[in-house]
Amino acid sequence: MTPVEIEALRLSLKVALWAVGVSLPFGVLVAWLLARREFPGKLLLDGIVHLPLVVPPVAVGYLLLVVLGRNGAVGGWLYDWFGITLIFTWKGAAVAAGVMAFPLMVRAIRLSMEAVDARLETAARTLGASPLRVFLGITLPLIAPGILAGVVLAFARSLGEFGATITFVSNIPGQTRTLPLALYSVMQTPGGEDAAVRLVLISIALALAAIFASEIIARRLTARLTGKKPRRGR
Amino acid sequence: MSLIEFSAQRRFDSITIDASFTADAGVTALFGASGAGKTTVVNMLAGLERPDSGRIVVGGMVLFDSDQGVNLAPEHRRLGYVFQEDRLFPHFSVARNLTYGGKGGYTKDRPVDMGLVTKLLGLAHLLDRRPATLSGGEKQRVAIGRALLANPAILLMDEPMAALDATRRAEILPFLEQMREQLDIPIVYVSHNVDEVLRLADTMVVMGEGETKASGPVAEILSRIDLRQWTGIHDAGTVITATVGDQADDGLTALKFNGGALQVARLHLTPGRQVRLRIHAKDVSLALEKPNKISVLNIFPGKILEVSQTKGAQADVRVDIGGASWPVPIWAQVTKRSATDLGLAPGTKVFALVKALAVDREDIGPGPNTGHS
Amino acid sequence: MSFRFLKTALVSAALVLGSLPAIAQETVVIFAAASTTTAMDELMDQFEAAHPGVDLRASYAASSILARQITSGAPAHIFLSASPQWMAYATERGTIDEASRFDLVSNQLVLVAAPGAQMDVTIGPGFPLVEALDGGRLAMGDPDHVPAGIYGRQALESLGVWTATEPLVARTMDVRGALALVERGEAVAGIVYATDATLVDGLTVVGTFPADSHGAIVYPVAAVAGTGTEASGAFLEFLKSNQAAEVFARHGFGPA
Repeated sequence: MTPVEIEALRLSLKVALWAVGVSLPFGVLVAWLLARREFPGKLLLDGIVHLPLVVPPVAVGYLLLVVLGRNGAVGGWLYDWFGITLIFTWKGAAVAAGVMAFPLMVRAIRLSMEAVDARLETAARTLGASPLRVFLGITLPLIAPGILAGVVLAFARSLGEFGATITFVSNIPGQTRTLPLALYSVMQTPGGEDAAVRLVLISIALALAAIFASEIIARRLTARLTGKKPRRGR
Repeated sequence: MSLIEFSAQRRFDSITIDASFTADAGVTALFGASGAGKTTVVNMLAGLERPDSGRIVVGGMVLFDSDQGVNLAPEHRRLGYVFQEDRLFPHFSVARNLTYGGKGGYTKDRPVDMGLVTKLLGLAHLLDRRPATLSGGEKQRVAIGRALLANPAILLMDEPMAALDATRRAEILPFLEQMREQLDIPIVYVSHNVDEVLRLADTMVVMGEGETKASGPVAEILSRIDLRQWTGIHDAGTVITATVGDQADDGLTALKFNGGALQVARLHLTPGRQVRLRIHAKDVSLALEKPNKISVLNIFPGKILEVSQTKGAQADVRVDIGGASWPVPIWAQVTKRSATDLGLAPGTKVFALVKALAVDREDIGPGPNTGHS
Repeated sequence: MSFRFLKTALVSAALVLGSLPAIAQETVVIFAAASTTTAMDELMDQFEAAHPGVDLRASYAASSILARQITSGAPAHIFLSASPQWMAYATERGTIDEASRFDLVSNQLVLVAAPGAQMDVTIGPGFPLVEALDGGRLAMGDPDHVPAGIYGRQALESLGVWTATEPLVARTMDVRGALALVERGEAVAGIVYATDATLVDGLTVVGTFPADSHGAIVYPVAAVAGTGTEASGAFLEFLKSNQAAEVFARHGFGPA
């Protein structure tokens, strides 16, 4: 692997891990709100969360640029108060990836939450458990497989994120040139076919590894939850 | 002051709840047909539903008071709730399910002891199992144990046996009877099953269409025919208290009450025990003269108190077969034709006949205050 | 619905459908470099107004992307490239009708500064670009493949400042992306076509890169091989006209 490829791989992993790690608590919170609570504006929240799924990634990237760029409403505040700059940095790339992957994560977690019988949670309350204790001891363990699915999906999506990233943080070698951006560059360059193929293979290998790992973890989790041994698939 | 004071009103789309009752220690049955609002009332007690107005006090603790703006969250109400479905936590073992309520839940003082509950409900051999591997009856027993071990001030049970088949029910009922005798926790028991109420309850609250129609001791409530439309008990009957007498060799037991002794097919009960028994009105026949050379063993002299004409061919006749000191009114159901032919009217002296074999096990429950030490 | 009604409906439909070729819509698909967007939009409107039976569709993107798409079989009739390089790329792969090729317009490269940014430099050999950027970034199309980026690097290289400037470059997917960054003030300066600079208010044009510092920015146009139709030929002819030249000039393009 060439230095460019190694750098792209390293950067992709870093960006994807941070994107998923930071958005996970929010993903769980939003999924819980949508699954268990009623409140005015719930439909609006649902719509906003799903926007990155249906809106062109470049449009999302531009929105991020306007809001989180140094001169943006939030970005300016981040810089003035915390000295944080997102644009042109891997942190911005992580934000772009996290935003694009967020709806996938929320969907997966919300689905598994809805599958958990809310009546179990009620029963726990009648036994004297506070809502927090119910969430940590009952809900969370039971939705763990769903959280896992959401994390893997979000991770894979983050690894492949292109449109929003390049529009928001542009292509900066060493900072934002993730695998998809590197791949795009070599694809556009005449004679870059070999490099392109290598980058594609690396991307596929990463995705497969993530899926494989999640399968193993999912089986262990299910066994622990139900007390049954996982059956061997044919 | 009563142990439970309940008064709540709330308007739903399909029904308006307006219920009030009080209850003391022992088992209080909330009785009524489906849709009468029983589960809603229990959920209000538990804090899972919020009344529009009212006041709920249990054991001196105010759980809800709309005037004062008090509404305790379920986890602060110190109660145990056994639902129709077991609702066991699938990712915990039985033992962990049982102890869930104790950890940081309610107070640390634990007069309800794990060993006692495990023994009482027959759970010792199940402790390491997972809920998914248990039978329906076993799961429900664990659910009851779990609620008890939360050391509640009162135990709520919402038709806990509704989801079980007859065999399982027969399996659990004795456990519940034992529980009632050995533990001091007041219980609110929702049911639409008369047999369960008869065997378990001390007080009975009848609900219909969201309102409390009547409340009082079980024997009294079950004997009232004006409540028939709410209780759904269309065969009239009487519940009387009796003391178990001698068991004869030929398979009969004498149940002594204030009107004499009622012979019934042998029961396995300890002599001297008090029991409650139900005599179905259709098993009671009437005669103007004392019959002889007849197979019926139970013949009691009495006086007619009232004759009630219902729709159809039957007439319900209330007869007092008690002795001089204490009335024992029982219901007899005869055809209207017979009532007319015999000229049955209040004041008429008659003989009430009850077949010994008509009273069966299902009709017998514990006497008042049995076993509370 | 009676059978008779159905028969009448079917016959009527057949008549209508059968007569359609007489008022047929002919579609011409044009792949054009992103920097020609506004000029081409206006020209297409003019052409469609004069030729009611023709429906013109344009796809605007970086010439590199368009060339790749055409060589992969994309259904375009006309290719307008922002650089001879990518037109040659497509021609080498046999996807261009060489006889139809001609140079359409030319463009210049300018250095623009974000609104409110102080960039007091004159473009010349060794000019203090890095100092003027003062830690901020220079936005331009990716020098690896976007024509504007390639020209930009050529210019900076020939002026001897590329090596110092390269670490500060923000590479965008196309020129419009670079423009957006400068417009928002996220990049302190940018290298864009002269035609792009006129699109946005508030942008200061710091200077124009000398024409000899980079390859000639010439926009060749040609028909895609094997797709020639009456309408596409007519449009190509229209592009050669004085009317078209006037429109291009108004948008800042120069003659080929």
